[in-house]
Amino acid sequence: MSLLSRIARSVAGDVKTVAYSPIAAYEHTRYTVTGMRTGDVDPADVAMSVVSTITALAVVTLLLFPIYWVLKLALSGGSASLFATNINLLPTDPSLQTFVWVLGDLILPGYKLSLTIPGVGYDVFVRTPELVFLDASAHGVEYPSEFKRYLWNSMTVAVPTVLLAMSLIVPGAYALSRRQFIGRGKLLYGYVLFTQVGGGIGIASLIALYALFVQVGLDANKLALSVYYAATAVPFNTWLLKTYMDGIPKSYEEAAYVDGASPLRVVWEVVLPLSKAGLATVFIFTFLAGWTEFIVAQTILATDQYTLPVGLFLLVSEYSTPWPKFSAFALTFALPIMLVYLGAQRYIEDGLSFGGVEG
Amino acid sequence: MENANRTDLRERTSSVQRWVRENAGLFLVLPGLFLFSAFMFYPILYLLYLSFMRATNAPPTSIHAGNEQFIGLENYVTILADPSFWNSMGVTWLFVATSVALKLAFGIAVALVLTSDRARGKRFMRSLVILPMGLPAVFSITVWSKIFDNARYSLANKVLLNLGFEKVSWMTERWLAFLTYNVTEVWLAYPFIVIITVSALQDVPDALHDAAKVDGAGYLARFRHVTLPAIKRPVMFGGILTAAASFQQFLIPFIFNDGGPGEANSLLIHYGYTEAFGNTSPAYGKAASIMMLTLLFIGAFMWLNVKKGKLADGVGDR
Repeated sequence: MSLLSRIARSVAGDVKTVAYSPIAAYEHTRYTVTGMRTGDVDPADVAMSVVSTITALAVVTLLLFPIYWVLKLALSGGSASLFATNINLLPTDPSLQTFVWVLGDLILPGYKLSLTIPGVGYDVFVRTPELVFLDASAHGVEYPSEFKRYLWNSMTVAVPTVLLAMSLIVPGAYALSRRQFIGRGKLLYGYVLFTQVGGGIGIASLIALYALFVQVGLDANKLALSVYYAATAVPFNTWLLKTYMDGIPKSYEEAAYVDGASPLRVVWEVVLPLSKAGLATVFIFTFLAGWTEFIVAQTILATDQYTLPVGLFLLVSEYSTPWPKFSAFALTFALPIMLVYLGAQRYIEDGLSFGGVEG
Repeated sequence: MENANRTDLRERTSSVQRWVRENAGLFLVLPGLFLFSAFMFYPILYLLYLSFMRATNAPPTSIHAGNEQFIGLENYVTILADPSFWNSMGVTWLFVATSVALKLAFGIAVALVLTSDRARGKRFMRSLVILPMGLPAVFSITVWSKIFDNARYSLANKVLLNLGFEKVSWMTERWLAFLTYNVTEVWLAYPFIVIITVSALQDVPDALHDAAKVDGAGYLARFRHVTLPAIKRPVMFGGILTAAASFQQFLIPFIFNDGGPGEANSLLIHYGYTEAFGNTSPAYGKAASIMMLTLLFIGAFMWLNVKKGKLADGVGDR
């Protein structure tokens, strides 16, 4: 719980900073302008700042233009296309209908609960009201997408992936960082060797992987796919977390040992809290491993088990891809991840430092 | 006699106990290692087996599907004598070289712009600029494939026409298609490089820059002598990781134009995949031998990098 409240507090802080930023910027500009008038601030200095800020803005705009283009397309709806007879930067007739199509009905049906009071012989009925969050047909959407089914499939693949992967990676990284044991160096070497090869081997050995899954009767099994994703995530993430843990001074643990804490308690109360950024990064990476993988999922899973990326690709056809729907689908799919990136950016920057400066 | 045996036994148990105590860390690592090995080495062994077989009938659904026939090294001989394999090999290495150089140069440049002391709101912009990493690759690549469509109205052609140039057939001209592969790969991978570079840059003490400034070093001199040495190691590591990713790029040729025109840009993994699943007459044995050779090359490449770059030690074995 304390973790959740801490996350909530940090998100609230971020939102506040963003909300106040126009005021801060205004104050800053006013200060600069008065400074220049009184001669306290060097105009050349200000000009340099303006130029670098504009350069940075230009770079960001250019890089994110494809995302904006796709968002515009999703908002245009109807038969809008990725191809354009003329380049309009704003959607002509913006509507959220494509997003309604993606989400479909969001209705929580009413349930009837019956409770028998023992000994008396009375039944008590409780009827929960039907909760309608979004009624697709009211917005002119007759056949909504199967987004929710794909989402459910993706969740049931990604959550076990993360749980399994974390339970393998965290102890492994700790042992590699803090313990000496036989073959440690060789293992570390092997892990680094395999860091980025996992996914590639997946495709290279797709035939073999398929044969393996079929032979043990685990094709069309989402849990087996999670186990596979967790396995491919092990080397890179173990190595990443180990590198992060290496950067934590050992003196903290030694102090705790001197105070008489047990090894388990030291790990739980000293090492893990200090590895927060590393853990967050590894968490996101293992989650994404299952969340975005396409080719193995498509090969192994049955049609009704398809995950979001496979469902997304099914929308593409050679001649008549519904581009606005495709874009809205993809953006809805990516939105939670993008939000996590926005919020966790500083942790990821810390977590991916690879032990930066040699010490 | 019996007594001696007993002490011997006790000594032995205690030495086993001592071994277990000293290597307790091993038991924390083994589960992960075991799972990883199960999914990595078993398929590779099966691939190796298959590469010595003629297997063309049906998709192999078991280790002994019964339709394979041992033909020794014939698959390898066929592959190594096939010019299209060597084309694929060549274009893959070229792609690794060009895309990695572009990714690093571009990623570092963006990171420098977004950490500049003078830029305002850089933290916010840094959050935004890594957003492409959150998009599913299938989606990004499909969108880019349409941006570079041959059609007159694709975004890339539209921009060219507006600038007063002729429209271009991006997908049907070999080197143009290769260029679009590079652009897409850079767009997919730059956030990773930016994050690594930014976090390395933040570890550079300001005092170093100030000292260099006092000594009269200009911006370029400071970049070369202060910034670069500090970010070299993490960026090199990121470069190697991203090189391995480029080497195994599959979705770009798969979604763009099937490695076309013809097979000109069929990167290795895509080439092997097409042999196995894409053709009208699947050749699993042949595909397996292509994949084996690919794995051999990527393995050797990573091994060399890890050894030369001293990536496995340094951080760990202080």
